[in-house]
Amino acid sequence: MNASKNRSSFARFMHSFEKSTLFLILGIILLFSTSISVILIAPRYIDSTWTTPSSPYQVQMYEIADPHLYMRSISEGSELQYVHHLKKNSTLLAFKESEHLRFVAPPLLEKYITRYQEPKLLLTSQLLLVREPEGKMVEEAEAMRKNLESQKKEQENKTKTEIQIAELYDPQVEEAFSIDPEGGIIQEWVDENFTILDDEVKQPYHENYGVIYVQNPKEFRITPDESEKNTHWRYDPAGKAVQDLEELTSPSLGFYSRRELIEMGEHIYAIEGCWYCHTDQTRTLIEDVVLNGSDSYPAPPSSANEFIYQKITFPGTRRIGPDVSRVGVKRPSREWHMSHFWAPTKTSEGSVMPAFPHFFDRDSKQKNGVGVPNNRFEAIYQYMMTKGTRITAPTQAWWLGKDPIQTKEIIEGQKKLQ
Amino acid sequence: MTAYDDRPAKLFIYPSIFFMLIGMFVGVFLAFNSFIFPDYFSGEHIHFGRVRPVHVSTVTLSWLLSVDVGLMFYFVPRLCGISIWSAPLAFVGAGLWWCTLLLGTNSFPWGTNWGWEYAELPMWISWIPIKFFFGISWVFIAVNLFMTIFCRRFEKLYVSLWYCMGTLIWTTFTVFVGNFALDWLPGGMSKVNASWFYVHNLVGLIYTPMGLAIVYYFLPKLANIPIYSHRLSMIGFWSIAFIYAWIGTHHQIHGPMSQWLQTTSIVFSIWLFIPVWTVVHNFMATIQRDWRKYVESVPIRFLIMGVIFYLITCVQGPLMALRNVNEITSKTDWVIGHSHISLYGAFTFFAIAGIYQAVPVMSQKPLWSNKLAEWHFSLNLWGSLLFLLSLWIGGFLQGLMWANWADGSSYAEFHDNLMRLPFLQTIANTREWWILRGIGGLIILVGNFLFAINIYNTVVLKKALSPVQVE
Repeated sequence: MNASKNRSSFARFMHSFEKSTLFLILGIILLFSTSISVILIAPRYIDSTWTTPSSPYQVQMYEIADPHLYMRSISEGSELQYVHHLKKNSTLLAFKESEHLRFVAPPLLEKYITRYQEPKLLLTSQLLLVREPEGKMVEEAEAMRKNLESQKKEQENKTKTEIQIAELYDPQVEEAFSIDPEGGIIQEWVDENFTILDDEVKQPYHENYGVIYVQNPKEFRITPDESEKNTHWRYDPAGKAVQDLEELTSPSLGFYSRRELIEMGEHIYAIEGCWYCHTDQTRTLIEDVVLNGSDSYPAPPSSANEFIYQKITFPGTRRIGPDVSRVGVKRPSREWHMSHFWAPTKTSEGSVMPAFPHFFDRDSKQKNGVGVPNNRFEAIYQYMMTKGTRITAPTQAWWLGKDPIQTKEIIEGQKKLQ
Repeated sequence: MTAYDDRPAKLFIYPSIFFMLIGMFVGVFLAFNSFIFPDYFSGEHIHFGRVRPVHVSTVTLSWLLSVDVGLMFYFVPRLCGISIWSAPLAFVGAGLWWCTLLLGTNSFPWGTNWGWEYAELPMWISWIPIKFFFGISWVFIAVNLFMTIFCRRFEKLYVSLWYCMGTLIWTTFTVFVGNFALDWLPGGMSKVNASWFYVHNLVGLIYTPMGLAIVYYFLPKLANIPIYSHRLSMIGFWSIAFIYAWIGTHHQIHGPMSQWLQTTSIVFSIWLFIPVWTVVHNFMATIQRDWRKYVESVPIRFLIMGVIFYLITCVQGPLMALRNVNEITSKTDWVIGHSHISLYGAFTFFAIAGIYQAVPVMSQKPLWSNKLAEWHFSLNLWGSLLFLLSLWIGGFLQGLMWANWADGSSYAEFHDNLMRLPFLQTIANTREWWILRGIGGLIILVGNFLFAINIYNTVVLKKALSPVQVE
C-alpha cells in the first residue's frame, strides 16, 4: 500500500469510526469494568481478613522482632549466631531467674528482676544488660551462692547442677547488642501475667495483648581471632563491644537482619521456581489439614491474613512436592533442611526434587558430607520458618491444640461450620 | 484487488515457528530430566524450577501470542480491504517484541523470575526494562491494528474483527494488571486475586478470542463455506465478553480466598458453557455442510480437531471449578493436562491451520509437501492424545490417593491414612504416567519438526507462482 492511499484512508477515519465500532468498544469496556470493580476492587473492602493481621503476635514478629534480630549466616567452625539489636525505650527486656540462674543487682535495678518461681513476668523498656559479677557485686554474688548452697543441703536436693549467678547492670547507652545463644525461630512471648515497669507506655505495641521481649540479654562482644584462617573474630564475653549497626552488618562481621533474610528468601523462592512444585496454602479440605497437621492436631486452613506481610504470595497450582504452608511447624530442623537441599533423595526417598548445591559453599571441611550453607540457604530457611508459625502466639498455637477455628472439631464432625 | 503488505505478518509468524520448536524441546527436556530421570542434569542453572518458566513463556509468548499477532496482521487487513495502517510501526513493534522476548524468556536460568504465574518476565535485565518494552511493543501492535480497522474499506465488521478488537482492549488492561499493577496492591490475597484474574484472562480473553478469530476467518476461507450463523457468532462473542473476566478466582477454590468470591467464580464458570457451545456449534454446523473437506485438507483437520479439543477444554474447565470435582483434580497433573489441551490442543492447532493457509498466500508458493503435512497432523493428534490422557488419568488417580487421607471420622484415622500412604508414595505411584507423558511429548515434537521443515522448504525452496494460481 502506498503513502497516498494511506492518507486517503486516514481521511475516511471519522466516517468509518461509526456506530458499530463505537458500540463494540464501549460494550467491551462496560462489561469488563463491571467485573473488575466487583471482583478486583471490592473484595478487600468487603472481607476484613484480607487486610487485618491474624494476631498481635504476627504484627510484632514481622514489624518488631524480624528487623531487630541479626544473624551471621556463614560461620565456619562455629554455630550460627543470633544477635538482638536492643534499643532503649523500644525493646522490652525481662530478667528472669531460673533453677540454674540467679541475679544480683545494685539496689536501684533490683526491681527489674523476676525472681525464681515468681509467676508474674516483669518487663522493662530500660536498656539493662547481664554480665559476670564485677567489682562490688562479686561479694554479693558469693554471699548469694553460699546462701543457696546451704538451702540446698537442707532440702537434700540431689541435683548437682551448678547455679550461675549473674549481675544486672546499666550500661548507660541508648542501644546495644546482645547475643542469643538459643536464637530459635520462635520468639520469647508472654500473654498473661506480665507487668511493664515503665511509668508510661513507650511504644504502641507495648499495649497489645501479649508482647515479644528479649530475655536476660548478655552483651555481644567480640575479639580479633588470628588462630583460624577465614574468621577474623570470635564471640568473647571479655572482648570489645560492637559499636553500632554499621559495624554489625559490615562485611567483616557479616550480619543480616532476619527481615532481610526473609525477604531474600521470598526472592529465592521466586527465582528458583520452588512455587511450581509446592503450594503454599492449606486448603479447606480434610486431606490438606491432615497432610500439614502434627501427630495429634490438624493444621488450620490458611487464612487470607497470614499472607499480608508478603511481597509475593505463592498459592501455587501443583503439588509435585508437599505443601509448604505449615513447614515451619512440620519441619523446624535446620539440620534436616540442610541435608535435604544438599541431596533431597537422602532425606526423602523417591523425591523428584532437584538438589540445590548453590545454597552451599563448597568447602573441604564438609560436615556429614554436606556443604557449608551460605546466605541463600539461611534466607530460604528463615523464609520457610515463617510458614505456619506466625498465626498466633506460640502459647496459643494450633499445634498445642489451641486452634482458634477448631479445625479438629470441624473435621471430626463435632462442630458445624457457620 | 488490493495489494496487501505482508511483511509485518511474516516478521511475527516465521520466527514464532522456530520458537515453537525451542519451547517444545525445552518441554520435552523437562518431562525427561525432571520426572523420568529426575535431576539427571542438575545444577543451579538447569534444574526444573529455573527451566520450567523458559518452556512456559517460550510457548505462550514467543510462539502462541506471537503467531496469533502475526495472523492478525495477516487477516485484519484482508477483512478491512486495506493494507496495514503503518508498516514501519509494525517493524518497530516486531523488533522490540522479539528482542525483549528473546532476552526475557531465556534469562530465567540466571534467576530473573518475577515470581507471578504467567508474568515471569523480569522488570529489568541490567538497564533494559523488559516488561516495559514488551508493553510498548504491544501498544504499537494494538494501535496499528485499530487504525487499520478504523480506516477500513469494507463497512461491515466481520466477527473475527470483533474478537480482535476485544483482544486488543482486554489484553492491554490485563497485561497491565498482571505485570505492573500487582506491585501497587496490598500484600496477600489482593495480589493473588489480581494475579489469577490476569492468568485466566490471558487464556480466556487473549488466546481464546485470538484463536476463535482465527477459526472464524480461516475455516470459511479454507473450506469455502460461509459461516453457519451470524447470530450465533454474536451470542458467542458477547457472552465471552460478559463472562470471562469474572472467573479468575476459580483457581483458588478451597483456598484462602473469600467464599463469596469463590462462589461467584464458580457460577460464572458454569455459564461459560453458553459461549463455548454456541461457538463450537457454529463451527461444526459450518463444516457439516461438506465433511469431505475435512478429509481433503490438513489445515481443516487441524481446525476441526482444535475445535473438538476446545470443546473438551471448556467442558473440563467449568466442571473443574465445581467444589467437589476440584477437590480431586486441583493441584494434580490433571491441571497440567488441562492447560495443555487449551493452549496446545486447541489454540496451537488453530494457529497451525492458519499458518498452513497464510504461508502459501504470503509467499505465493504452494505448500512444499502435503504428505508431510498429513504426517504432521497424525503425529500431533496421537502424540497429544497420549500426552493428555496420561496427564488426566495420572492426575485423577493422584487426586484420589490424596482424597484417601480423608477417609474416616476421627483425626487419628486420617493421620493413620497419611502414615500408610505418605505423600512421597503418591508421587512414586505417578511415575508410569509421567513416562507416557514424556513419550507423547516426544511424538508431538517430532511432528512439529516436520512442520517446520515443510514451511521452511515452502518459503525457501519452491519457486514463486503468480498470485492468480495461489488464489
